[in-house]
Amino acid sequence: MGISVVASLSRDGQWTLANYWTVWRLYARDVLYTVGVAAAGSALTLVLAIPLCGWLRVRAFGPVEFLLKVPLFVPFVVVGHALRVFWSPYLPGFATSWLGIAVALAWKHFGLAALLMLGAFRGVDESFLEAARQLGSGTGRVTRDILVPMAVPALAVSAVLIFSSMLASFSIPLMLGRGGGAQMLMIDVYYRFGQHGDFETASALGVISYLLAMGAALVYVRRLTR
Amino acid sequence: MSDGSPVRRTLGGLTARLVALVLAAFVIVGPLLSLLLWSLAERWTYPAGWPQRLGLRYWSRMLTGDFLDPLKMSLLIAVIVTVAALACAVPLGYALARLSFPGRTLVLLAFLLPQAFPQLPVFAAATREFYRWGLAGTVSGVVLVHLVGGLVFAVWTMTAVFRSIDSSLEEAAYNLGASTTRAFLTVSLPLAVPGLVASALLVFLYSLDEFTGTLLVGAPFVTTLPVYMYTASQGYEMQIASVTALVLMAPGAALLLLLERFLRAEYLTFFGQI
Repeated sequence: MGISVVASLSRDGQWTLANYWTVWRLYARDVLYTVGVAAAGSALTLVLAIPLCGWLRVRAFGPVEFLLKVPLFVPFVVVGHALRVFWSPYLPGFATSWLGIAVALAWKHFGLAALLMLGAFRGVDESFLEAARQLGSGTGRVTRDILVPMAVPALAVSAVLIFSSMLASFSIPLMLGRGGGAQMLMIDVYYRFGQHGDFETASALGVISYLLAMGAALVYVRRLTR
Repeated sequence: MSDGSPVRRTLGGLTARLVALVLAAFVIVGPLLSLLLWSLAERWTYPAGWPQRLGLRYWSRMLTGDFLDPLKMSLLIAVIVTVAALACAVPLGYALARLSFPGRTLVLLAFLLPQAFPQLPVFAAATREFYRWGLAGTVSGVVLVHLVGGLVFAVWTMTAVFRSIDSSLEEAAYNLGASTTRAFLTVSLPLAVPGLVASALLVFLYSLDEFTGTLLVGAPFVTTLPVYMYTASQGYEMQIASVTALVLMAPGAALLLLLERFLRAEYLTFFGQI
């Protein structure tokens, strides 16, 4: 990481901000795009995982829980390829769209999210759920009014973990294939370094991705200490 | 729903379960089944919703052809990485779990940090340094890169394993006159074997599935299975990529099925990062 920081600030043996200027000129849109895709993917993961895990917490159901663990064991590269071939005959072009990338990232991270969330929900004392049920609450209300508020710290950790992992995702967007338009940041780093041999600009892109990951972590720490 | 009759509630619950199961199965198993379908498709052109011709041609071609070299390469690298990572992680994990020494938290943090930050720029930096030392494009270079990630997994799991072993057992051995080394070898290490096996499997799987670092450091000479799969899919050879994907998934799937009940949740979260 130190090497990337130094390289991002120098060119031809001189200290300069020129690499960041190049990034600003060529990749500003991709930075926004990456943050957007990661945010959409994280939101999708959380929106689907919270009600499902709440439901699983209230009424345990083994087979679904087992299925949720499957993505944990599927490597990133395989996820990208599997979803590409899954969609390609029926939804051509979807795999390379921003929504396709977000859905693919959500697919892979769903296992981790479900594992962390179920753990957090299982940590909530049964007596609270019992009391709510006595008062006539259904699964949806129990999740919304008891499980989620009591598990906020754990949910925040999962959200930050998932968001920064999606920011840094490389294999899934790479395997999904290259569409026109904006790219994920890590793909840019790869092409800048691998094909243009421009390590300095690639490093500047890398430093920006470090800062984004750090920003996500800071937001989380601040929320936790408040 | 809460004020419905008991019969209606059971029916509602059953329907909800069925719907959840079918949806989860479609969303999660669907893409994996389509891999299987693609691996069997001898001909599948665009507008058709189903392959025009199915057969085992690609499987037989793969299992005799140039697929074996990346497979051997992957296994070789994974074995070296696993052995080396555990050789370091067993003493280090023991030290981190049992002894308190200055900088202990720093060491633990140093092993956590790489997971929290984007890895590709780090791999790019490593590749450039490796060019200087003549390690780029060599098996040793790839092993070194895998070792960095493998050590993270191994040290964390081994620390957790040694921490879960009751230290009073070692104290009993000391009281009976055993040295630190002897107490470690005859008491702690045998008790740690199940955790050690889990840790080894984790590192092995990580190395087998590692793609980003191998692509950067190993290019163009070291081709492991994930890299082979990427190259095939770039050339629109979907069948070859699908067969490779299935082979890559097999060890993980076997582990999921076999170890589901033995694996502790903290190991599972590590799997999510492969």
